[in-house]
Amino acid sequence: MRFQDAAPDARAVVYAGIQADPLVARAATLLADASFEQRVLARAAMNGMSTDPVVWRSMFPRLFGSSSAAGGVRDRSDAILEVALAVAERGEQVRSQVRGAIVESLTELLVRRRSGIAAPGPSGPSGATVRRERRILFDGVRAEIHPYDVTVEAPGASEAIDCKWGARGINADVLHQLDDARTHAADEDESLAASLVVFDARRSCDVRLARQTAPHERTRIVALETLDELAR
Amino acid sequence: METQSIVSVADAITAASAAYDALAELAEDVEDEWSYVTDLADAWRERLAEVADARGHEPAGDGVAEAVAILSAEVGAIDDPHRAIDWLSTFPQVLLVAVGENP
Repeated sequence: MRFQDAAPDARAVVYAGIQADPLVARAATLLADASFEQRVLARAAMNGMSTDPVVWRSMFPRLFGSSSAAGGVRDRSDAILEVALAVAERGEQVRSQVRGAIVESLTELLVRRRSGIAAPGPSGPSGATVRRERRILFDGVRAEIHPYDVTVEAPGASEAIDCKWGARGINADVLHQLDDARTHAADEDESLAASLVVFDARRSCDVRLARQTAPHERTRIVALETLDELAR
Repeated sequence: METQSIVSVADAITAASAAYDALAELAEDVEDEWSYVTDLADAWRERLAEVADARGHEPAGDGVAEAVAILSAEVGAIDDPHRAIDWLSTFPQVLLVAVGENP
């Protein structure tokens, strides 16, 4: 089993530009330390109709009401709302791409908090690295076309992670690709965990998964409520 | 139910139900996703009913009546059935957060 950068095709070039948007990094950084309620706010406002902050503050009384926590929590809620509305103000197609990039960037940030993983660059103290847009190659197996969104590359503890904005994004292709990677790794006596991060409620993911016949029993589903588990 | 008359958690959930039903009806326009849409809406209605049963008598809390009115208006402005599908999941999460409940 070996990891390889995705081919720099037209899709990759366009997507790299989206991932490099400062708005993506700012949103991901704020959401990495956000509460569940603040993440729901971001999810709602990024795909909302209104871009008036007053509307969203009224919709989330526990974050913005008179009884809400003051200080740092309130400041973070304000910052998350501001960045979410900046995403929403993009055109429909662009904001869809930006949202996806934010979930990927957030996933990378949280995974980097695991012990033994160093800052971007050379491998950490355990030899682990976190990378984006990587393919995983196996002997005698035709390589998948699409790269994995995030990978943890570590001796004996690698992980392939794909990311989705919503539960509706869960489909047979992504489930097969993740499970195939895990089983091909096992065929080579390698350990590879497969995870699917979904910026949506677990309940919605379960409804979507119930309709899928693709194998997913051994794929970890990380939903909106459990995002912080990525750091552990 | 008028949002001005929202006093309890059950009132809030009842007041929001009409907007959620309309959202589900719009989402059903995506024919390929009809089964998913109906299952998704049923799953969330079930969760909201659980909360109404368990905590329905409790006070709704400050700002909840206005939150329900604004949430309902927000989804009422949606005319794209694909966005409606996304909001079928988001709407109950926002509502549950407003009444201090987890999804």
